Amino acid sequence: MNERRAKTFVIILALPALLLPAACLLYILFKGVPALDWAMLFGSSEAADAFGSVTTLWPQIAGSLLLMLGACLLAAPVALGGTLFYALTASARQRQGLLGMMHLLVGIPPIVYGLCGLIVLVHLLHWGISLLTGMVILAVIILPMLLLNSVNAIARIPSEKTEAARALGLSHGQLIRRVWLPAAWPALITGLLLGMARALSETAPILFTATVFSGVAWPDSLFSPVTSLQTHIFYLAQEGANAQSVDIAWASAVILVALVTALSFSASALRKVRMH
Amino acid sequence: MNTQKKAASPPDMRSTVPQPAIKPEREPGLKVSGLSLELGDAPILRDISFSLPDRGISILIGPSGAGKSTLLRCLNLLHQSWQGDLRIMGQDVRAWTGGEDALRRTVGLIAQKPALFPCSIAQNVVFGLGKKARKQVSGERIEQVLRQAALWDEVKGRLSEAASTLSVGQQQRLCIARALALEPAMLLLDEPTASLDPRSKQCIETSLRQMAEQMPVLCVTHDIEQAKRLGGQIIFMCDGRLIESGDSDDFFTRPERIESREFLRWSVCDCG
Ligand SMILES: Nc1ncnc2c1ncn2[C@@H]1O[C@H](COP(=O)(O)OP(=O)(O)OP(=O)(O)O)[C@@H](O)[C@H]1O
Ligand SMILES: [Mg+2]
Repeated sequence: MNERRAKTFVIILALPALLLPAACLLYILFKGVPALDWAMLFGSSEAADAFGSVTTLWPQIAGSLLLMLGACLLAAPVALGGTLFYALTASARQRQGLLGMMHLLVGIPPIVYGLCGLIVLVHLLHWGISLLTGMVILAVIILPMLLLNSVNAIARIPSEKTEAARALGLSHGQLIRRVWLPAAWPALITGLLLGMARALSETAPILFTATVFSGVAWPDSLFSPVTSLQTHIFYLAQEGANAQSVDIAWASAVILVALVTALSFSASALRKVRMH
Repeated sequence: MNTQKKAASPPDMRSTVPQPAIKPEREPGLKVSGLSLELGDAPILRDISFSLPDRGISILIGPSGAGKSTLLRCLNLLHQSWQGDLRIMGQDVRAWTGGEDALRRTVGLIAQKPALFPCSIAQNVVFGLGKKARKQVSGERIEQVLRQAALWDEVKGRLSEAASTLSVGQQQRLCIARALALEPAMLLLDEPTASLDPRSKQCIETSLRQMAEQMPVLCVTHDIEQAKRLGGQIIFMCDGRLIESGDSDDFFTRPERIESREFLRWSVCDCG
């Protein structure tokens, strides 16, 4: 009896965790899917009217993906380097320092990074509101996440294995290639996918450093501004009176959610690979 | 600088070319002088000195936590922060020709806890070899080292199966085979028979004796009977210090130090 009551109590507590996201997702699909159509995804951007209510979304999709890929390309090598430093050469004190720093950085609100980016990259370095600025800011945001993840992945490899490989005379490079990577790659890729999802959903820090509302289809260079799905939703949602722009906002939301969900699902599929 | 190092290189036990100039008969296989180690500010090994002849079995015994495994790791340079002097076949290990990786291949270390890699049994045997050597290694060679490790009969039909399917005792013997595949010039074994049945124990002991005809073999064991059977030199450690070392018969019949007597008293009780 007592146990059953406890079970009911736990279920009541857990229900919102299940129902709220499900309801949100359903509502987004309900509103967004009818607003989607082929022309909106891939139509020519010249149909844009003077106020920028572009009815095609591919520039936004491209912008979001470009920002995400750039951020990962910048952050992943740094995270890998940091991980190897941590695992191979760092002293106990350096390890503590590195981890402490990363935990601190994870906790800083993204908008603060946006502000720093605005001051340093946009104004001081004269990069302007640009794709590159956005990539760098997003890279800095996902870096601590990636680094903590890969350090954990390496730390989970039993030390006996590493020691056995070293005792057999494997060099650091061989140790990494033949012992660490085969054991840790699913965790490393999982971390990267989650980092990509994070870069794809971060909005505030790129709102005033990398993106504009409209007028850009495909950026000419790293120094041109872009449009992105996440900021597009923000701009359109502010024009609440205009029924069409709200529709486009919902459509953008569906695409964004689909992209992020695809990344998260691949990540959890890989986590299962790792367990077997 | 480079040529100097080469000139001082130790005799390679594997090479068939005789090197009379640097192979005096009585050069100790291993000479440890004043070795001390601190880990995280705690002294683990204190001023350890001993030497091993250039062939033959030596047994390292001592209570749990004495620092036996740590000492073996120092000899193989897995711990590098030690103070003191360590010479293998007359050469300083810190200035080893080919660097620390080459030294580790020369000094085979079989750890206390077997750790296999997630691949087949045969691939584990050759794991320490270079890429080319792994491809070219012959079935006979694999059989030879597995026989030396007293494992061949149990695995001969399943060499391509995952190594993780082996029992702990079998894994331990696979680790021995893996170290032997590198043709080491010295063997350090950390309780190699800890989880073996009496028969496999005997097999391993026989192989150890065979290998000890060509190289120094240093074996840690908690099994006093085994230590007596293997004979040779006994090195007794306690609390990070080397207490006593000498001939096996002398040590077990007339231990000099009070710590040794105390330790042996308990061992006798253990054996009933
Ligand atoms: N990495 C380390 N950092 C700090 N202390 C350590 C480390 N490794 C070992 N020690 C300490 O060194 C001492 C000796 O350990 P070691 O493993 O060498 O003992 P042992 O003689 O092999 O014991 P056993 O017979 O149980 O295997 C122990 O007190 C242990 O706590
Ligand atoms: Mg030990």
